[in-house]
Amino acid sequence: MTVLQRSSRVALWNPRKLFSPRTIVLIVVLAAWFVVGPSLLGAYWTRILTVSTVFAIAAAGIALLYGRLGLVSLGQVSLIGVGGWITLRVGHLGLPFELALVVAAVGTGIIGVLVGLPALRLSGLNLAIVTLMLAGAFEVVFTVTGFPNGGDGFLGRAQGGVLQQPLARPVLGTSDPEYFRYVLVVAVLMFLVIGLHLSNRPGRAWAAIRQSEAGALAAGIGTVRYRLWALAVVSATTGVAGGLLAGNAGLLDPISFKASASILLFATVLIGGAFSLLGAAIAGFLSQGLPPLLDAWGVPGNLIFVLLGLGMIQAITTAPQGIAGQLKGLVLRIGRAITSRRTR
Amino acid sequence: MILPFIVAGLVLGSLYALSGVGMLVLYRTTGVLNFGYGALGAIAAMLAWQFVELRMQPVLAYALGILVATALSLLFGFLAGPFLATVTTLTKATATLGLALILLGVMLFAWNDKARTLRLATDTMGFTIGTRITVTQIICLVLATVIVVGTSIYLRRSSTGTAMRALASDRELAAMLGIRVRRVELIAWTVSGTLAGFSGILLSSQTRLEPVFLTFIVIPVLAAVVVGRFRSLVGTLAGGLVIGVVQAIASAFPATSPFSNATPFLVATIVILYLQRRKVVTIEVAR
Amino acid sequence: MTGTLTVQNLSVVYGGVKPLTDVSLTFERDVCGLVGPNGAGKTTFFNVLSGFAVAASGTLDFDGTDLLAMNAAKRARWGLRRTFQQEQVIQSLSAWDNIRLTAEHTGGGRSAVDDAVAFVGLEAVDRPGSALSMLERRLVEIAKTVCGSPQLVLLDEPGAGLDQGETERLVGLIRRIPGEFGALVILVDHDMDLVSTVCGTTAVLDFGQVIAVGPTAKVLASAEVRKAYLGTADVEAGA
Repeated sequence: MTVLQRSSRVALWNPRKLFSPRTIVLIVVLAAWFVVGPSLLGAYWTRILTVSTVFAIAAAGIALLYGRLGLVSLGQVSLIGVGGWITLRVGHLGLPFELALVVAAVGTGIIGVLVGLPALRLSGLNLAIVTLMLAGAFEVVFTVTGFPNGGDGFLGRAQGGVLQQPLARPVLGTSDPEYFRYVLVVAVLMFLVIGLHLSNRPGRAWAAIRQSEAGALAAGIGTVRYRLWALAVVSATTGVAGGLLAGNAGLLDPISFKASASILLFATVLIGGAFSLLGAAIAGFLSQGLPPLLDAWGVPGNLIFVLLGLGMIQAITTAPQGIAGQLKGLVLRIGRAITSRRTR
Repeated sequence: MILPFIVAGLVLGSLYALSGVGMLVLYRTTGVLNFGYGALGAIAAMLAWQFVELRMQPVLAYALGILVATALSLLFGFLAGPFLATVTTLTKATATLGLALILLGVMLFAWNDKARTLRLATDTMGFTIGTRITVTQIICLVLATVIVVGTSIYLRRSSTGTAMRALASDRELAAMLGIRVRRVELIAWTVSGTLAGFSGILLSSQTRLEPVFLTFIVIPVLAAVVVGRFRSLVGTLAGGLVIGVVQAIASAFPATSPFSNATPFLVATIVILYLQRRKVVTIEVAR
Repeated sequence: MTGTLTVQNLSVVYGGVKPLTDVSLTFERDVCGLVGPNGAGKTTFFNVLSGFAVAASGTLDFDGTDLLAMNAAKRARWGLRRTFQQEQVIQSLSAWDNIRLTAEHTGGGRSAVDDAVAFVGLEAVDRPGSALSMLERRLVEIAKTVCGSPQLVLLDEPGAGLDQGETERLVGLIRRIPGEFGALVILVDHDMDLVSTVCGTTAVLDFGQVIAVGPTAKVLASAEVRKAYLGTADVEAGA
């Protein structure tokens, strides 16, 4: 790891650079993406990029846990499922979609903390295993309960295909291009929530806890409280991702929330880069956009596993900053080349 | 009638245990918790099925499948071993997730994820004591017990076993004592790969012959290893059997049967949380 | 004016081992030294003071405050600061954020960080921890101990890994802490020159017990301490 890459990573979390040129560039790019994205992409890719953006939110949560706290969670897709379940359940009661998203965020946050509470003392391999086991358990539970589809009872299941009813999309996002924009806005909000946490007091406290529990305590940090807060923030934003996924098609299938999906998403975060939000955005695309892209290029879709596996090993061994880190290094190098030419 | 469930549970449990022993031998020697273990077994099973389809002598087909799994495990250990030796247990395990994905991708490329069945010759032989028991099931039970006991004795008595245990407690010290660390580690990768192949073929005959299913069967297998506290072979055997039987009994009753597949995860979670109940703050710097 | 730390009959037991036995000491002015051979119990003593080890018996009192009643994080918020033998600078945060981290959890604002940075004379505080030299890391550690309102500062070999000139700079800073921040400083170090230039009084531990305490020069010169501390050296010299 070069110093250069690290310093760029520090700069990203620095609140004093909030109105730096790069922030302005980012705002312009996002605004342009918001306006022309759907027409540029076409109907098919708009739908795929919508789902990619949803998964980028969940990826940002994984990146926060791994990059900032050093924790490996292999069960994040289950939390997407929880958020989706809550959104569908509450949405079918007639709540506006936005309110359902808030309920999903709070509900998933609470469930994430409750589930994480006993696992709080764990770290390293033990935590990875427990989260994987919980992902396995959630997989079973989802298969049994299914996802609400407008039926009666607590589970909200309609028996038989006739009565099945998808949840209506939000008023502001009924068509595919509109929903793309809707998801983009919510995703930017979630990235802001996570980014602001990282660049402020909680982020510093998390970095201290990661480096050394004793050092953190010696600095007066209540380590339990900050760990719980990390879990709550990550679970809540992941719950929102679940809600957006539920809103996309109006129905969810247990088959999308297997433990293996969590492992794949974790792999894409490592490959995209766990130390920046750009990495999370790349991870979202790798998990949902790459398979159809390979398909479009005529590459057998199953080779995605080989690519992700190789990419993961490469990320672990030689590129811990992931694709995002390499991109940033490239931008820095180009910038330096330009400035050095100018001074000449 | 609950007896058939118990028999099925014991068989499945013994296969969890058999797989777990292979993971444990590797983990104790090299510190690598191999998430690719299930995929190695899946490769062996898929190849065995393919060779049988190509009209090869079944026993030869199984042997070839196991051989390939062994070779792949050894190859990964050979290529990644030097790097893995330098990183934390968590990073080691994460790297093997990469191995699992690569193998899974190759398998899905070569064979789709449709249900197939691997019929072992021993499936049709059997006898009845209250319920029908096939020779394959007997093989599973006996093999698991024999391998657990055999590996225990091997680790305790043979010089390689002693070296493995030395490595497990202190790698650097073992190297200073003149143990050829690299060689012992490669032996562990080999043994682990062979056990993965064996258990993969047996698991595929008792459960499902699907690459994805067999690859991620590593999760319940891991549960058995957790019950063995990452140390004990006998504990792993007991863990596997208990998980298998509880799961099978749960599947016998309508109220619990939908949740029976969650048994390994619940057992493992409870065991890990129980083992970690006391917390100690160590004054060290994690880098 | 610095406060007074009174330690009475303090013992620590790990299983069958007793790293500290019945230690009674009073630290009352400016910078106090704590020395002793390896394994004498110095770090264990710091760990009990800062809440990382549990006292089997005894009391810790600082101007009427019972330290043992608080956990490690609470003691830090009360005003206890400590450094560790291995520096704890966080690689992924800037030097400024490293110091701010302590300040914001112990009741110090941005101005406290600025004061601490100015005190140690650290330049270019925007650089990440991973880009700092060993001296700069040690300076960050000192800066962390003086932000907020420190009452008791424990320094565990603060100069480890520094050369002569760098150590002298550090010594100058340590001496100024009591006067400028009003905190009592206890210094553990193997460097006898450092201890004798900085510490007015010094206590000596050996096998978990206090074997001498008093003015630094007198203590370090006493025959008993020389025997405990340099015993092997004397034997070698005689052989």
